[in-house]
Amino acid sequence: MLLSSMRNVVYGYSDVPVVEQLSLDMFQGEFLGITGPNGAAKTTVLKLMLGLLKPWSGTVTLNDSALQGGKLEIGYVPQTVASFNSGFPSKVIELVRSGCYARLGLFRKWNAEQEAIVEQSLKQVGMWDYRRRKIGELSGGQKQRVCIARALAQRPNVLILDEPTTGMDQQSRRGFYQLMRHYVSSHGMTVVMVTHGLDEASEFLDRVIQLERKESEVWQCLTTSSCSVRFGQEALLASSHPS
Amino acid sequence: MQRAFWAGGFIGIIAPVLGVYLMLRRQALMADTLSHVSLAGVALGSMLHWNPMIIGFVFAVLGGLLIEQLRRSYRTYSEVPVAIIMTSGLALAIVLMSLQSNMNKSFSSYLFGSIVAVSSVQLWSIAAVAIIGVLYFIVWRRPLYHLTFDEETAQISGVRVRALTFSFSVVTGMTVAVAMPIVGVLLVSSLMVLPAALALRISSGFLSAVLIAVGFGWLGIFGGLTSSYYLNAPPGGTIALLLLVFLVVGIGFQKIKARMTKRKSHMRQELLQQHM
Repeated sequence: MLLSSMRNVVYGYSDVPVVEQLSLDMFQGEFLGITGPNGAAKTTVLKLMLGLLKPWSGTVTLNDSALQGGKLEIGYVPQTVASFNSGFPSKVIELVRSGCYARLGLFRKWNAEQEAIVEQSLKQVGMWDYRRRKIGELSGGQKQRVCIARALAQRPNVLILDEPTTGMDQQSRRGFYQLMRHYVSSHGMTVVMVTHGLDEASEFLDRVIQLERKESEVWQCLTTSSCSVRFGQEALLASSHPS
Repeated sequence: MQRAFWAGGFIGIIAPVLGVYLMLRRQALMADTLSHVSLAGVALGSMLHWNPMIIGFVFAVLGGLLIEQLRRSYRTYSEVPVAIIMTSGLALAIVLMSLQSNMNKSFSSYLFGSIVAVSSVQLWSIAAVAIIGVLYFIVWRRPLYHLTFDEETAQISGVRVRALTFSFSVVTGMTVAVAMPIVGVLLVSSLMVLPAALALRISSGFLSAVLIAVGFGWLGIFGGLTSSYYLNAPPGGTIALLLLVFLVVGIGFQKIKARMTKRKSHMRQELLQQHM
């Protein structure tokens, strides 16, 4: 079922368009990969999808009725996670608990159910043993995993990940893709992931969107069929400009 | 003197808590900036024969809102709006003060603080702002935590970021305006930044950082007030200096502790090697 669609979206920074006439669809319960070279506006496309940026023209529509309960809960792990304020005075468990705050609202009490969700999320990303450590003491890959646990603790129905495996070792990356695949297949979660590591991730993804950068002189051009050859599965193409 | 301790106690709750959030949002100089803006309000109020305290209060709140609005235009350089408003506030204050031939005593109390001369109206204002501030930080603690960690993620999680950042600026402006009579314009940020700076270094978690900041804030204020009485020194400067001493001692203590831990682990390793 169609969850979100962008139609003829144009967006840019200052007066330079970086996304031109972009149309793409996102379906409920799919593991979608977005890839492309640096400057292909992958993060911008994610932010447009999330409503963090308003398009200059075109439309972004979200179909809430496609979701169980009809309420959109988005979990988001930004690209800059590994470089966040290392002096932030929080323990790992405190940060992951904050994933439950949106569900609890301002006044609802913290309870055993939330604690169990936090524990499960931390165990799933292999960070339970580090729960009492300060987040500033962790490596980039560990911080990344903690932020993924925080997003999972939110119990989202749509999870948006901007290069989530940055700083992770190969084993952790593979475990992470398997975990996301599990959430998609068993819980019906929709996962959208920006990644450069398509070689490793492709076997877990349902669909890949390849964003191409328009160079000043050369257009890198991919067709749907060439994408299928390259990635071994269905692919959808979208075009964008460099920033 | 009793009023001074009450006033210090109220400010000692809210200012350090605010300081923790300001430091984590990389806005440590915001309090300093708003105190200069507030001074311009005091000067204007004095010139127009309106209540300088109320006008200073209004200016500080408006200054906070203006900084937040400018911060949205300079997303990458969060210190730029602070610099713009600080210089503007100071320039306006200097011009307005120079227009008044009878520079009265109250200006020096705003500049350097005179907690021992806190009036009952000032005390009630301080108490009201402290209660509002504490309630604000208790009720909105969850969204504020989100916001402080990462604004973008907070927005996606459903936090009303714009409303929250503006309300945070209003609370900051209010606190700065009522703290001015205690430590004065020149040292107002010391009540916020120094206890928070120490707490962020030695705390093990977010809540403990807030509690440690309040603890050191109180210690600095009560210790400073008592010392200033016996030393016959200005209370504002004494409080700020005492807080600075706490910070230096705290950093030194932390460094010694880290060195001892390092040495212990080195010795343990040597012992293990000898046994092998």
